Amino acid sequence: MSSEKKVYKIKRTKINLNYCSTPKSFSIKEGERLSPLPKINFDGNNIEFLPGETIMQAIERAGLSTSIPRFCYHPALPIAGTCRMCTVEIEKSTKLQTACSTPAQEGMVIRSQSERVNKSHKGVMEFLLTNHPLDCPVCDQAGECELQDYNFTYGPNETRFTEDKRIFKNSTTRPLSEKIILNMNRCINCERCVRFEESITQTFDLLMLNRGWKKELTVSDEEKGLTSNYQGCLADICPVGALTFKDFRFQKRVWFLEKKPSICDGCSKGCNIEVHSENNEVFRYIPLYNESVNGHWICDEGRLSYHLLSDPERVTQFKIQEKIVSSKDALLHFETLIKASKEVAVLIGTDSTIEEVQALKENLKLYIPRFRLYSFNGTCNSDEKLDHLLMMKDKTPNTKGIATLGITPFENNQADLYIIFKNRRALPPALPQTSKVITWGVWTNDELKKYNSSLHFSGLATAEKGGSFLNTDEILQGFSPAITHQGNSLSVDEIFYELGKIYGTL
Amino acid sequence: MNQNVLNTIAHEKNSHQLEVYKSKGGYSSLVNLINITPEQVINEVKKSNLRGRGGAGFPTAKKWTFLPNDDRARYLVCNADEGEPGTFKDRFLMNKLPHQIIEGMIIAAYAIKSKTAYIYIRGEFVKEYKIMEQALKEAYDANILGKDLNIYLYRGAGAYICGEETALLNSLEGKRGEPRNKPPFPAHVGAFGMPTCVNNVETFTSLPWIINHGGDAFAKLGVGLSGGTRLFSVSGHIKNPGVYELPMTFTIKQLIDHCGGIPDGKKLKAIIPGGASAPMMTADEIETPLDFDSIAKAGSMAGSGAIIVMDETTCIVEAAARLLKFYEHESCGQCSQCREGSHWLARLFDRLEKGLGNESDLALIEDICSNMIGQTICAFSEAMTGPALSSIRKFKSEFLEHINNKGCPHKLHLKEKEVSHVL
Repeated sequence: MSSEKKVYKIKRTKINLNYCSTPKSFSIKEGERLSPLPKINFDGNNIEFLPGETIMQAIERAGLSTSIPRFCYHPALPIAGTCRMCTVEIEKSTKLQTACSTPAQEGMVIRSQSERVNKSHKGVMEFLLTNHPLDCPVCDQAGECELQDYNFTYGPNETRFTEDKRIFKNSTTRPLSEKIILNMNRCINCERCVRFEESITQTFDLLMLNRGWKKELTVSDEEKGLTSNYQGCLADICPVGALTFKDFRFQKRVWFLEKKPSICDGCSKGCNIEVHSENNEVFRYIPLYNESVNGHWICDEGRLSYHLLSDPERVTQFKIQEKIVSSKDALLHFETLIKASKEVAVLIGTDSTIEEVQALKENLKLYIPRFRLYSFNGTCNSDEKLDHLLMMKDKTPNTKGIATLGITPFENNQADLYIIFKNRRALPPALPQTSKVITWGVWTNDELKKYNSSLHFSGLATAEKGGSFLNTDEILQGFSPAITHQGNSLSVDEIFYELGKIYGTL
Repeated sequence: MNQNVLNTIAHEKNSHQLEVYKSKGGYSSLVNLINITPEQVINEVKKSNLRGRGGAGFPTAKKWTFLPNDDRARYLVCNADEGEPGTFKDRFLMNKLPHQIIEGMIIAAYAIKSKTAYIYIRGEFVKEYKIMEQALKEAYDANILGKDLNIYLYRGAGAYICGEETALLNSLEGKRGEPRNKPPFPAHVGAFGMPTCVNNVETFTSLPWIINHGGDAFAKLGVGLSGGTRLFSVSGHIKNPGVYELPMTFTIKQLIDHCGGIPDGKKLKAIIPGGASAPMMTADEIETPLDFDSIAKAGSMAGSGAIIVMDETTCIVEAAARLLKFYEHESCGQCSQCREGSHWLARLFDRLEKGLGNESDLALIEDICSNMIGQTICAFSEAMTGPALSSIRKFKSEFLEHINNKGCPHKLHLKEKEVSHVL
């Protein structure tokens, strides 16, 4: 058993430790090595750890996290050590210990599989399921429920509990806010949500009432309910279906969902998201872990922004003067407009990808002999934060990226014809009524009317296309299409390809 | 025969007043303190074999030496959250000898070099709170406190679990009374993140005598590694229930006789030797001495020294069911095993008592308990298995009687006689 299988070495240099409710930060400077780093022996593998880390944290970093089941432990939250699911056997220790709360020590020999450990896992699963309603067929969490998954692996096959189950009559379907619904009967008291509200959002909205088996989750202010802008994360971290996100509730069984990574374009932070869709219809965004950008979280605004994709107000057709036309007719009309105008200004919204801007910059030269290029933001062109977590004042995702391409901001520069390219997020500036406007990208009907658009090229939204954004912290993030667009809109590249075919510039 | 260490002047009128306490030699140990170093105090207590009187019986001097040698502020906490069913010795001490507690705390604070001490008093102890408050005021007015040591009185909110030292510290800090993960131990990270030492009321009360008479004299009063005398809270089916100070060489039988025996000449059925959490002992085991090690050897625990005597009329199933209901009510609900297990066990015992159980339930109880022992943050879930396991192991016949009769035989008996009262 103790033969060396593999040595897991520490690669990342900065790790945040949340040890025993006192968060500590421990970092190794670039180039500095703690040599030799202490090691633990876990199921025969030697794993390096940093002094002060717990067994679970060392194992998580080595990528062996699936070998220890857990409910209350979450890498981003303070350690509680209360679910007792992550017990492991440590040599020379009489009792089983919880991996999440026991500090790792040099030379520890740890086993995650043994008769005692298995009995303990089975015991905890049985206890947790005694009062759990087992309503998986109607529970929205089914399919991504940790209780369900772990019971499959570790739990007993049948229950020996024949007493009446605990029922919280007032909290069976209780809205804690407009976004979150609580079903206390399903709760397994891991208190991840309480710790999230305490240590991450610092809003202290949730607390546990009473004690023992009558312990009940509730909001600290009944009238206000939940107040944070990160309520969706509560549903993400809840290991069971106790906290569910109202927007996704009863919309789709999770096992039908196709999961593709993308970037949220809701602000300049550029949070990593996973787009969950079926047949190219998006059902939700959930955060994708990225230590240097968004951690485990995403704000509700970004989470709900998927509604913009299928918004009925969004224009997904090519238009000439509010009249829907085919893409070919629209492209043919393009040249007439160009030829009739002397001065052309191209305005690019800071919500465009770097690739789109470059394509516009290079390809428009073929059709317009002289034009000037400007950028516009319209929200807030700064690095200011809205809160202590993720939300930024700048509501466009690529302000920094456009700036690096050397495009100057628009300052009421006069022109006969404006070509405005944007993707729903940036707000275009007011333009003189006398000039003509070609709109391009993702627009709404109201906006087209406001700018009296002569010609509209319909473009793709962020989740439907690939590209790259440079976020507020100057991290360049590339992404691929998560879904295929279902309307008639075309990407910038496709439009230039079509233009090339028509005008023979290809 | 009996050397009174603890309740020296408890029989005096107004023994809780500073004047009376001082006139009978109270606070005299503080004079001796001037001549000895803190290390010598610890050494003296080490020699005395004083073991923590709260229930675990951990050597007091050893606990003090766990405190790290750094210049952080350190706190002394007096655990007066006496909640163990059957125990009322601390309440007696606070009623009668509040100044002896304060004197003991001054000695302990001197030994561990603490400048701040807290008394965490159980929320239900209203009278005792007032007496302690008055005693502290007297001590401050007499300049006994305030110069080198400040003692603050803090009332709990009525939770049994707050008698557990880390839950007590959480409660003291104003948080939920839930035990903390260990390590770090309170000796390193205790109240407000500082090194902390938590001792029981009775432990503090023993200290003045040790300083006055020397550790060796105290050790001689005891037996083996348990030094000194002990306060026993005797209750249940006994002629003269109350708090008794007795040497630990006493056997259970001697203690029962000392307290006047069982009324009406009834026979003994069972005793609980150390508060509700201690496994029950049968009438055959009453020759066991009352020191920590002998009782542990007999498979029970000396705990807080609460002797609950049950005579032959007691229904053990009902007694166990009542005890488990208490645990169901008092579990803090942090750990899965304890939260759900306490509920499950209470339901099972309730069902067995009503005669609705069957024999497989007994095996189930054994298995549930095996999943609860040694798996949680604190010892609460293990404590709960004490009465549960001991009752079904030692009094199995009574459980089978309930199962076969489909009801409690004691209640059937009642029904015939006093139908109108019960129904």
